[in-house]
Amino acid sequence: MKNVKNVNYWQVDHKIKQIFERKGAVILPSPTAWEKFKWSRAYFERKPKEGYFVWIKKQVDFPLTTCITIASPKISQDLTNLLVIEKGITVKANVICNAARDNLCGTHKARGKLLLKDNTSLEYNHLHRWGEKDFVSPDYEFILGKNSRLVYTYKNLFPPENLQLKTTIRGGKNSSSNLNFIINGLNSRIEVKDTLFLEGKNSQGVVRLRLVGRKNSQIKAISKIVAEVAGRGHLDCRGLLIDKNSTISLIPELICQSKDAQITHEASIGKISEEELNYLRQRGLSEEEAINLIVTGFLKLEGRGVYSN
Amino acid sequence: MLLEVKNLKVNGNGKEILRGINLQIKRGETQALLGPNASGKSTLAQVILGNPKYKITQGKIFFAGKEITKLLPEKRVKLGIALAWQSPPTLKGVKLSQLLEKISQRKDFQLEEGKGLLERETNVDFSGGEKKISELLQILALKPKFVIFDEIDSGLDLKRLETVSKTIKKELVAKGVSVLLITHSGAILQFLKPKMTNVMVDGRVICKEKDFRKVLKTIKKYGYEKCKKCKLLAG
Repeated sequence: MKNVKNVNYWQVDHKIKQIFERKGAVILPSPTAWEKFKWSRAYFERKPKEGYFVWIKKQVDFPLTTCITIASPKISQDLTNLLVIEKGITVKANVICNAARDNLCGTHKARGKLLLKDNTSLEYNHLHRWGEKDFVSPDYEFILGKNSRLVYTYKNLFPPENLQLKTTIRGGKNSSSNLNFIINGLNSRIEVKDTLFLEGKNSQGVVRLRLVGRKNSQIKAISKIVAEVAGRGHLDCRGLLIDKNSTISLIPELICQSKDAQITHEASIGKISEEELNYLRQRGLSEEEAINLIVTGFLKLEGRGVYSN
Repeated sequence: MLLEVKNLKVNGNGKEILRGINLQIKRGETQALLGPNASGKSTLAQVILGNPKYKITQGKIFFAGKEITKLLPEKRVKLGIALAWQSPPTLKGVKLSQLLEKISQRKDFQLEEGKGLLERETNVDFSGGEKKISELLQILALKPKFVIFDEIDSGLDLKRLETVSKTIKKELVAKGVSVLLITHSGAILQFLKPKMTNVMVDGRVICKEKDFRKVLKTIKKYGYEKCKKCKLLAG
């Protein structure tokens, strides 16, 4: 990995290579935090084996960066991560999980809890890059306090053989969440389960999924919004099927438990437009180059708006 | 001869669209192709570029002495053939600058009108005029030997039409690039003065005339339907 000196927590296989603590933040291995901070046990649920604990106590002026790598064959990671952001703090996090090589047959299991206290703002960029034979199952829960704001982007352009991605968001009063899942299926079995609970009054959220099925991929996405009180939510699930041996199954689910809530969804799965393909080939790109460019455009979500207050 | 289309018959969606087209364009020559809606002008352009949607049932296409009838579209582009689309598709998530970078064969040109478009997604929410500017930018980036402009003059106001014509003249015609102007209105012809004007009706070129003004006058007077009766008819 480049620029490792700025990485706040860096783990390779089971070994912690670096912890770079900076002003305003406490960064520890999760087992140490379990021992040191009794209060953290409520969030860890059980004693962690490995993983990181990050406690942002004061406003920081750096992006929090973590990197978890599998570098040896047949490694099985079992991580428990906890991120706590104190009231009124704005944080950007770049979270990278990857395999150093293509054929390591590794297992990356990660459970994480992210606690955003009142009036906080978190931009969380979750980048995965795996080898063809890896098994990966992240399970993250974000708890948003009053008036807090989350922009979460999960991007996986190099998927493992098997990916089970579970994400839960609990939105507090007046909170807002913008969730983006960008996944390129290549010879993969992928299951995405995301649930947004609008728990606090006037909480709102938008969930966007962009899924590409290539090279014999089987993708299933169950995307759910539950409005428990007055709030607004929107699901936008789109799939693009590139080859005939792939399948994408999109299951949007809206559960409304308040007459003052409004939740909506749009879902579509389609193939590449022949017109776009032909247009790009008439610009000199080969069929494969044209498909790659169209897929890159399809997976791009940057700059798309959320609800504006 | 740079482009030679010989007795070309083409089917699309099970229907014969082109019914024996003959067309020759020399190096450095500008020609025009006029015709009413659905006469087959855009189909001819797409077939010359190799759109697999259309099936050639008879005839051949040659470019620079080489037969290209069955060549892939991207290989035709590599030989120097380019087409500015009449209604280009939108490319969501692909900025025009990104596309230009991918296709560009040259770095030495700029188009003032195109600057505002570069950081936008290609053709997404572009006005009619902006699409034409975007097409022109892409064509210039390809550094072609032969360009077909499919209705480049529609959707452009007079000032922009003049600018676009000047650019085509300076960057293409003056550099020896052959041009085929497909036009319904003929608005661009006064700026680019084609050496030959072809009229297409019902999938056939029914008229070839050196003086584009005569053709425009005749069409204005009689309409395309009466074109066949015109004394300028080349047979």
